[in-house]
Amino acid sequence: MSSDNPQQGQGRPLPKKEQDLFKNVVKFYESKNYKKGMKNADQILKRFPNHGETLCMKGLILNGMAISAVGGSKDKKREEGEEMKKEAVELVKRGLMMDMRSHVCWHVYGLLHRSSQNYTEAIKAYKQALRIDEENLQILRDMSLLQIQMRDLIGFKETRLRILTLRPSSKVHWLSYALSVHVNGDAEAAVGILDSYFGTLEEGCEEFQKNFESSELALYKNQLLSETKGEDEDGLGGVKKALEHLDEIENVVVDQTGWLKAKLSYQLQLGKFEDAKDTVFILFERGLTEEHRVHGAYMCALLKCDRATCLEVEKMKGTGTLVTLRPISEEERNILLDAYGSKHGLSKLYPRSNGIKRIHITILPTNGEEFKTAIDKYCQKQITKGVPSLGADLSSLYLMEDSLSSGSRLMLAADPLDVKAHPVHVLLVDLIEAYITSLSSNNSFPSGDGECPPSALLWAWYLRSILHEQVAEYAQGITLINKCIDHTPTAVDFYELKARLLEAGGDIQQAADVIDAGRDLDHQDRYINNQTTKTFLRAGRDEDAKKRIALFTREQGTPEQYLYDMQCAWYELELADLLRRKGEFGRSLRKYMAVVKHYEDYHEDQFDFHSYCIRKVTMRAYCDLLRFEDDLWGLPNYGRAAEEIVKIYLYIHDNPSALESDAEPDYSKMTPAERKKAKNMARKKKNAAGKGGSKSDTKSNSNGGSGNVKKSKPHAIDEDPSGKELLALNYLDEAKKYAAILARHSPKSVSSWALQYDVSVRRGKMLMGLQSLFKMKSIDSNCHQLFSRVVDFSRRLESRSSKCHDTSEEIISAEFPKLMGGKTLSEFVNSAIERVKSDAATDLPMRTAVAKAIVTLGEGSAPDSLSVILDSKLNCRCVNVDSCREALEFIASVGGDSGKGQFQALLVTKFPFLKDF
Amino acid sequence: MGKLSVDFGMINSDNIEQLQPYLCSYIITKKTNENAQQQQQQQLKKINQACFPVAYGDSFYRDMAKKSDENLCKFAYYSGLAIGAICTRVEPIPDDPNGRSRLYIMTIGVLAAYRNHGIGSKMVESIMEYYENEKDGKLSTVDEIMVHTQTSNVDAMKFYMDRFGFEKGELVENYYKRIDPPHCYILRKKLR
Repeated sequence: MSSDNPQQGQGRPLPKKEQDLFKNVVKFYESKNYKKGMKNADQILKRFPNHGETLCMKGLILNGMAISAVGGSKDKKREEGEEMKKEAVELVKRGLMMDMRSHVCWHVYGLLHRSSQNYTEAIKAYKQALRIDEENLQILRDMSLLQIQMRDLIGFKETRLRILTLRPSSKVHWLSYALSVHVNGDAEAAVGILDSYFGTLEEGCEEFQKNFESSELALYKNQLLSETKGEDEDGLGGVKKALEHLDEIENVVVDQTGWLKAKLSYQLQLGKFEDAKDTVFILFERGLTEEHRVHGAYMCALLKCDRATCLEVEKMKGTGTLVTLRPISEEERNILLDAYGSKHGLSKLYPRSNGIKRIHITILPTNGEEFKTAIDKYCQKQITKGVPSLGADLSSLYLMEDSLSSGSRLMLAADPLDVKAHPVHVLLVDLIEAYITSLSSNNSFPSGDGECPPSALLWAWYLRSILHEQVAEYAQGITLINKCIDHTPTAVDFYELKARLLEAGGDIQQAADVIDAGRDLDHQDRYINNQTTKTFLRAGRDEDAKKRIALFTREQGTPEQYLYDMQCAWYELELADLLRRKGEFGRSLRKYMAVVKHYEDYHEDQFDFHSYCIRKVTMRAYCDLLRFEDDLWGLPNYGRAAEEIVKIYLYIHDNPSALESDAEPDYSKMTPAERKKAKNMARKKKNAAGKGGSKSDTKSNSNGGSGNVKKSKPHAIDEDPSGKELLALNYLDEAKKYAAILARHSPKSVSSWALQYDVSVRRGKMLMGLQSLFKMKSIDSNCHQLFSRVVDFSRRLESRSSKCHDTSEEIISAEFPKLMGGKTLSEFVNSAIERVKSDAATDLPMRTAVAKAIVTLGEGSAPDSLSVILDSKLNCRCVNVDSCREALEFIASVGGDSGKGQFQALLVTKFPFLKDF
Repeated sequence: MGKLSVDFGMINSDNIEQLQPYLCSYIITKKTNENAQQQQQQQLKKINQACFPVAYGDSFYRDMAKKSDENLCKFAYYSGLAIGAICTRVEPIPDDPNGRSRLYIMTIGVLAAYRNHGIGSKMVESIMEYYENEKDGKLSTVDEIMVHTQTSNVDAMKFYMDRFGFEKGELVENYYKRIDPPHCYILRKKLR
């Protein structure tokens, strides 16, 4: 049949009339004039029903129509859209079969895949098209975008080179090729390419003038230079060149601050500390006195830090500087104090700078009189002014050595136990207590000059209440915050703090009511509205929460849909947590998945930037974007969602019965007919999952990780609100997928590896489990997650029915004992018991884990295990509502009523408002 | 005691804190007015509850929110906190043959901790100032300003009479329902 029809790829083109029609089809497709395009295509097909290219184009047009139909809001239309899409795929496939040697057909086939985010397949199709038409620029360009999106870096480089060879006159192609070489790790060659490009330009053309594009390009080249190795032995040749290059480009660059910051960084790396100081002062003069990174660099210059430290300080965020990164010696401290505090120091040069004043306090030795005076002055000023954030501000002074880094780094004390013992906290408590006494008797500060406004006492109470909060003294905190509310009942901040105290102290319901009363004072404050919503969700009152959050969503559509579209991850995470606590695992998974989808969208969103950034020559920002997207799955909100997804899947894997209570109420709300249908559907899906439903799922996810999400985005959440589809998947496969992402992208988090372990052993992958244990050990060898899993691993080794491969067995028997320090399990547990007993501060989760091990392994009696927990009197680390709940659960299971009673007595002392224990 | 620098009014370009609700209004323009009113209802309620022995019903606050004229009803803010409020209205003088009206101070209050700093005076002054500016304009029918004071409230009477030249008028018996003494005086000042 096909031989009757003209086929372009086989050297039999369409007759003139149809050829014109075909051109129209393409034109109409490109202008999205689908109906006319369809009409023209049908005209050709009337005469040549098997013309491959026309069939393909028709399919492509149909696909375009399907996408706009799916985007619509009506269900019926959406179904039609799905049908149309299927038909489109059929058409394109048929067309391709007819004319396998047409590049148009293959290109269309690639476009079809691309439109469903199936990038790997799309690249394959493009490659096929290029085999037929090697010099098709359009296809090459499309393919290069897909390649960088998929991070096929080598392929990307090849494609960009082919494009550049074809069209060497275009700036964009030069830049793209340079970038492609750069992302492949060869900065040196990338510089060479840029130089060749500059070589093609005429003297005095726009590229050498001072404007944004030439400036960005010059700075990009400079960045590339700094990344090159250079010829020097110390590996700093590139940085040297970059520093010299900065002088060359000075009169082209418009981003002066960026230029100066680059200069500063290079000077520090090269150890030119005096020059660096000069650069710092130029930056200060430009008004960057409040930027902590500049201060960090200044400190590095003052203390002549090595290159690694300089680079680390350069990356610090927020108010972090060298002094918050690592402990400093007395000598170093004196140098810094001289630079910041003395008569000729920064605080005299820039008396109006708050940043400098605050940094000066951080540098002062906390045991000295000077520190006390400085902090006194600072607090008085802020309290007089009425600065609610003072408590948070001061808490960044609770610096202590990071135990995990063996003293080479600093961290902030966060646990009440550590804060209480911290000298700065002790000092602050004394100071504020004295303020309160003095202010309430004669309305002035102890140092006594001048009268204070009535609000000074108020803010002193408020700060004292926060200090109570920091050390978990909730009842005292409440007493003070109540005084604040009586004093000035119109300030929102007080209600917020009171709610926080109530929540931490155990009464989440009252906390929600209090913060809602505060919210009532200011209906325009989105922050307090969100906090209220969050507290309601934590209190399990999702209906109230929805009402509050709806005050700030658009009126059309449901709030839930709006929040999804706005990618409001915090709300979805809190709601998912709530549903999980209620045991509605399907709905909960659905919400966590919504967050996962946001991240897939973020990843998808970069697509548009690949061509845009190069066209606009924002190369430096584009490189940052590429790096950001590479680390996307390591961001906290994604991590939280993925962790919970893994945990839920593992839980329902271990407790299949947990789902029954979940599914039932859903059915009960339906009519009998609906119920029958739904049950049938569920059964079918379950069967499908057993056979290989999960296979298709992993497939769609491996392809760019986003499946069909984007296109059906506005509806993704409505299709399966109760998460039945998610529950029909293979639990372990799903858990494995997300655990693997966590392990790859958050490798520094203990919990990533803990989950990886949990998944691995359930899948019978003992070796992977062992590897995870070693990873955990390298992060924190004393954590409770590791301890309980070592015990678990050893028990699994004994009880398992089948062994692994011989080599694996050898490795396990050789390596596993190292985790227990070469001891037997019993010795290992006993040494942990000793450790817990000798260190009163040992955290509560660790105590619970040890107690559980005692019981499960029979290493002691039930009272022995209880004493591990009860002896702490809860004066240990990590005592919060959640960790106590877990401990209580264990105690109730082994200790009976007396143990439970003892523990509850302890709880009441720690959590004065405790309600539901 | 020293004077505190307080800011007045619904909106004041000098005080960024106070402007906040208005800066947020871009969020949802349609809801803004309604929300702003509700919010002010609550703020006013908190202040009045803390200041007066008389509890006003919700209808009072709803009315205030609906009819309030920012020149006649205003909050006093100190460093961003609402610490006092005055509510006045223009009402016809009963049985007046010429149909003249008066300014009536419905409520005025300052949170206890912030008293004796001249805030109450400033609030009354700001009303008087508004009258001065508008006496030939919007307030051209207004002849006097008046207020009810509980017979036992000597401080208040001193405040109006000594500082603003109000004169003690007739006694109204059983004006208040739930507080003792239930009687009050009318204090008034002729404005023209």
